[in-house]
Amino acid sequence: MDIWVVFSFIAGLISVGVAVVTFRWVVKQDPGNERARRVAKWIEDGAKSYLKKLYTALAMLAVAMSIILAIVFGIQRTPGYGLGIAVTFIFGALCSSVAGYMGMTVAVKGNVRTSVAAEKGITPAFNVSFKAGSVMGLAMVGLALLGMNLIFLVTKQAEMVLGFSFGASMLALLAKAGGGIYTKTADIAADLVGKVEVGIPEDDPRNPAVVADNVGDNVGDVAGMGADIFDSYVASTVAAMLLGTALPNLSGDQHTLYTIFPLILCMLGSFASLIGLQLVKVKEGDKPGPALNRGTVLTTIIFAIMVTALVLIAGIDTAALWATLAGLITGTVIGFTSDFFTGDDRPPVVETAKVSGSGSAVTIITGFSYGLISIVPSVVGIVIATLIAYYVADASTVINGVYGVGIAAVGMLAVSGMIVSSDAYGPIVDNARGIAEMAGMSEAVVEVTDVLDAAGNTAKAITKGFAISAAALTVLALFSAYASEIYQAMVEFGGAAQPMVISLLNPMVIAGVFLGAVTPPLFSALTMLSVTHNAFDMIEEIRKQFREHPGILLGTEEPDYVTCVSLAAENALTALILPAFLAVVLPLIVGFVMGAEALGAFLGGAIFTGIIFALLMANAGGLWDNAKKYVESGHFGGKGSEAHKASVVGDTVGDPFKDTAGPSLNTLITVMSLVSSLFAPIIAAFHIF
Amino acid sequence: MAEYTKHLYLSMLPEALIASQLSPEEFGAYYAVGSEKRSRGQAIFFEMDPDFRTEDLPIEEGLRRCVPHDDGTPKRSVYISVYRALERISLDAIHKLYLVTQDGRTLGVDGADACPEDTGGLHLYQEIAPVNPLVVSTLGPLDFYDLIVKHPTTLLKLPAVCFAELRLGELASNPEYGSVGDLPYANIDHLRQCLVDLRTKIIHTKMVDRISAPTFPYRLLKTGLFVGNERHLRCFSLPPAEILRSKHYRWWRSADM
Repeated sequence: MDIWVVFSFIAGLISVGVAVVTFRWVVKQDPGNERARRVAKWIEDGAKSYLKKLYTALAMLAVAMSIILAIVFGIQRTPGYGLGIAVTFIFGALCSSVAGYMGMTVAVKGNVRTSVAAEKGITPAFNVSFKAGSVMGLAMVGLALLGMNLIFLVTKQAEMVLGFSFGASMLALLAKAGGGIYTKTADIAADLVGKVEVGIPEDDPRNPAVVADNVGDNVGDVAGMGADIFDSYVASTVAAMLLGTALPNLSGDQHTLYTIFPLILCMLGSFASLIGLQLVKVKEGDKPGPALNRGTVLTTIIFAIMVTALVLIAGIDTAALWATLAGLITGTVIGFTSDFFTGDDRPPVVETAKVSGSGSAVTIITGFSYGLISIVPSVVGIVIATLIAYYVADASTVINGVYGVGIAAVGMLAVSGMIVSSDAYGPIVDNARGIAEMAGMSEAVVEVTDVLDAAGNTAKAITKGFAISAAALTVLALFSAYASEIYQAMVEFGGAAQPMVISLLNPMVIAGVFLGAVTPPLFSALTMLSVTHNAFDMIEEIRKQFREHPGILLGTEEPDYVTCVSLAAENALTALILPAFLAVVLPLIVGFVMGAEALGAFLGGAIFTGIIFALLMANAGGLWDNAKKYVESGHFGGKGSEAHKASVVGDTVGDPFKDTAGPSLNTLITVMSLVSSLFAPIIAAFHIF
Repeated sequence: MAEYTKHLYLSMLPEALIASQLSPEEFGAYYAVGSEKRSRGQAIFFEMDPDFRTEDLPIEEGLRRCVPHDDGTPKRSVYISVYRALERISLDAIHKLYLVTQDGRTLGVDGADACPEDTGGLHLYQEIAPVNPLVVSTLGPLDFYDLIVKHPTTLLKLPAVCFAELRLGELASNPEYGSVGDLPYANIDHLRQCLVDLRTKIIHTKMVDRISAPTFPYRLLKTGLFVGNERHLRCFSLPPAEILRSKHYRWWRSADM
């Protein structure tokens, strides 16, 4: 059976290898004239300086955390086990960091090269930007496969992969929430002072926050989103592996096969993504959006064919195939349904734009209401995928229902290489447009980058829907893994060998549900308040620069971009401390004080409100953003109208919704689920009530 | 000491005659973006013949005081008159119109050889100086100017006027049901009613807003900007949008065209 793990490891190597080759190809492209290179360097330096600070903070946290893990698990089990968990934890954080660093490095090199390529037309510009984006997708998948397979090959224990996943999750939480706070701080401050107070256009080089704004796109949408999907990708795989180890009716090679089946799915997904990436082409005059969507659909089909062939050839239970397909199809459908609520000419967006003429209050109410409605189809999709996966698998004599749910989550995330590539393309072309403006490139270049950017926004919206849904299935699988870990711990400790029952009649359970349910809102509030506090500081800085240096607006003096970049970075990292602390410590407090059932209920509450809040905020934010763009494109009065003013308010409210709090909730619930699963054996043994 | 050319500018927002050593583009940026004194905002001004003189205004004295600062930097503004300037100058002395965006991008517009003919439909006029009402009318720009400056039918008469014709889109022909499209006017229902009144009542003009802020998005300029006195009228039309985008991209972006 090890041969499959070796193949999967090699698939990881291939992905990383292609990422490196693509990286080098992108770097070899023309970086443009001196002015363009200078602007790109500002963004690159700002992004790298932020990542350096983030990774320094993470390194300290990782060392402290790994020591705790080594001690706790060393005492509870064996010193070797404790050391293993500590090492895999650091390894997980390291792999995720390297993937994020690679993705962001190529993004900040690909942006300027895209704007230069745009001088020759849309095809070369798209090629550069999409290939640059694919580096993030391939690096993420490749490093995750390398890490998981290596650990399993060395230790033969799925629990050790849990340590790897926890490390990746911790990095994801910091990267996603920190990147989200950074990007919206800079965006809101740049817009409020630049556009509203002074009247300068988007990406105008006279705005002191313009570089920070472009840096934010990279740290939030490339490094942050990449880390988020890396986390879900690994977490879903490890959850399914843990559930595989607990399958009761299997032994020997069969048992191992179903334990490593998630790794095999990831391997096939990486191959499907590699093929799918080659199929994404744009001809002159074409729009890139359909090409990106076509790539995603083709990758999905290729993966489905590969899995079917594998199941039939290797004699794997067909229930596993149906569970995989249920997750795969649902993930794709949910991704595209989020486009219905946020697409720029769809009824919800048009109606929100229309009512904006009556003021910002109505804009907020309408957008928020559609955001609430948008939860329904995604949740129904998750429910359908869960039920199909569960019952199909439960009807099998080989696997069981919860394993089916875990496999559905892996099926959904297996094509992440393609999804992340499309997502990372968004900020690259967004930056390319900014650089074209700041470097004073021709109007034709700006026009090409505008077309590329519009497709990037849609890709981002689809990825968010996909990421949230994937996280939902992942945490459901992790939830089952947690229950399974508790059960096995109880058996080890000689307790009653019965599955854990979480009854709402138990007051501890009710308390746990409520405490879990309030955690995502609290986390959202903390991250969004950080944005407003930090934006306030940056607004003051921008105003100060305009006040003290009138030459900035006259175009005779260059703004101090560095101060705004540093301000955004330092404030974002400071703002992370409390939310990150809550994510790790709250489940432990609940578990050690209130017991395993209460912690299970806590996770349930957090998962339900977390998914609802994440979908609401991502979709309402995207809807408000596009309602503003719809008005700006000449509807309901266009720019400068009352509808425009109200839609700008909606967009500003929606910014931290969709780019800070919403996407970070995926990671929050994954981290809490992983902490709980990891500490489950200890919590089962030691709790106060 | 550096030598600077002296310029004479007739500002419409607010109405003032100003001497300056800044070029029109520099003056536009300075005037719109401001200085430490924090004066800022959209600006519209004409570049005048620097040799123009009139006994009604102390132009010579203003130009005499327009000398570089002690540190050698050019004098940015010497205000010669801050009210009733338009009615006291000769329109023949106007060289060029400059439209300045809120963030200081300046576009120079040459006077048209002939003023545009009325193409029919209803019209919307924003008076810029000396008074600022927003008016709808059945009259084309030439007839409107004639009505308020040369041959008024009421007691109201202006000695000179600067006004802009703004776009009405579909409302010009279908005030009741025409799509608003990208017209950003506040209180659009009131505007529709005023336009309907022009059709249903025997009137040529109707005031939409007595004191309307004389700033507007430049994309709304229809036939252009007009400046006239009792002697004659001069017209300034914006170049076509594609020319603005290709040749004046920075201004085009800042003006949100």
